[in-house]
Amino acid sequence: MMHEELESLATIYAVGALDGVALAEFEAHLAAGCARCEAAVRDHAETLAALAVADVRRIPPPETRALLLRRLEATAPPRADTRRAWLRWAVATAVAMIAAAAVTGMYVAARYEAGVGHMARDTAAMRERLRASEAMLHEQVARYAGIAELLRDPATRVVGLHGLGASSGAIGRVVWNQGTGGLVFVGNLPAAPPGKTYEMWTIAGGTPRPAGTFDVDATGTAAHRVAAPAGGPPVEVFAVTLEPAGGVPAPSGPMVLASN
Amino acid sequence: MASPGAELIQRMADGDRGAFAPFYDRFAPLVYPLVLRIVRDPGDAADVLQEVFWEAWQLAGAYDTARGSPEAWLLTRARSRAIDRVRSVRRRGEIFVAPLDEALAATDPAPDVAEQAEDRGVVRGALARLPAEQREVIELAYYGGLTQTEIAERLEQPLGTVKTRIRLGLERLREVVQRKP
Repeated sequence: MMHEELESLATIYAVGALDGVALAEFEAHLAAGCARCEAAVRDHAETLAALAVADVRRIPPPETRALLLRRLEATAPPRADTRRAWLRWAVATAVAMIAAAAVTGMYVAARYEAGVGHMARDTAAMRERLRASEAMLHEQVARYAGIAELLRDPATRVVGLHGLGASSGAIGRVVWNQGTGGLVFVGNLPAAPPGKTYEMWTIAGGTPRPAGTFDVDATGTAAHRVAAPAGGPPVEVFAVTLEPAGGVPAPSGPMVLASN
Repeated sequence: MASPGAELIQRMADGDRGAFAPFYDRFAPLVYPLVLRIVRDPGDAADVLQEVFWEAWQLAGAYDTARGSPEAWLLTRARSRAIDRVRSVRRRGEIFVAPLDEALAATDPAPDVAEQAEDRGVVRGALARLPAEQREVIELAYYGGLTQTEIAERLEQPLGTVKTRIRLGLERLREVVQRKP
């Protein structure tokens, strides 16, 4: 798609109406760092915000304020320390994957989060889980200790994966650094049938490269490490296909997850 | 110079719990009508509001003034959380958008903050003054959570027409917003 075509999508994207291939292409374009399109999206977000700002104010139910203040009292204050912030984010990410919550990130929101990446949707179930099992979470963080390290690198980006076809309920996320490789988390993915395995692909310059095989656990989740590619153009697309056990050198089976 | 809102977010980012109540009091009356307009049920709206402000507290450290106003930061998140809520409670086909929400009319209006009140006249009603076919598509998308394809199906219009209407409508809104004194 030409840049002008892409830029014309910024409006549709800003009102949340972009879908399908156009959405995938536009988000990939934003993720590639197009400052002009990002500025356009931001500009439209400000316009839409201005409508709300100009609107009549309404006082929300007082219980909401009281609940929030109680919740605040019950929590330790957040640390200003960036490392802590990263770690907290890593925890949230790990939890999101473990809980296999609905984690479709809105790009604009993510960019507002200063490049931290797609933030987990804070579902009620997830909150409960977070409260209930903090100890378990720390354990999970230790398991994914690499992610915190990876996230400290400003070159690291986070890419969402969406389930396709029979696995449309699956979700995933790649924490990716072109220089050092990355980590893939998937959730809600059914176990591969006997004799089959899931295979990860990094697609750069239109060419898919095998990035290892993995299987999901009983809860349908998996964490998979992908080594840095040996040179070549930056990875544009991440995908997972269902392949014969042991994996294959080029994708042959159905695609179950892909980045957008 | 940081806006008062941005300063509150900065204090929250620094872990100052005392900044949360003024932050909430300043922005909740702004966020609530948007959420209510989208989810329509006051109970759901209160849940979403709580979610949005709790996230704001947790993510205050990630807010970057260079990337947008506090209002846009908060409202973008609020809109997307509200749409999530609507989608989780209704099948897509059932989503509809009311031009004036009765639930909204039933709430108490909050007093205008003096410094913000001046620009309101021009911008308020800007959406209502759009040509009907442009207003319709923006409302279906932004408040109704429908995608361009869903809007095209619903209105039985070609996709290109829907895209053009959204673009023209938003461009016009942008002009109104930027022309304000």
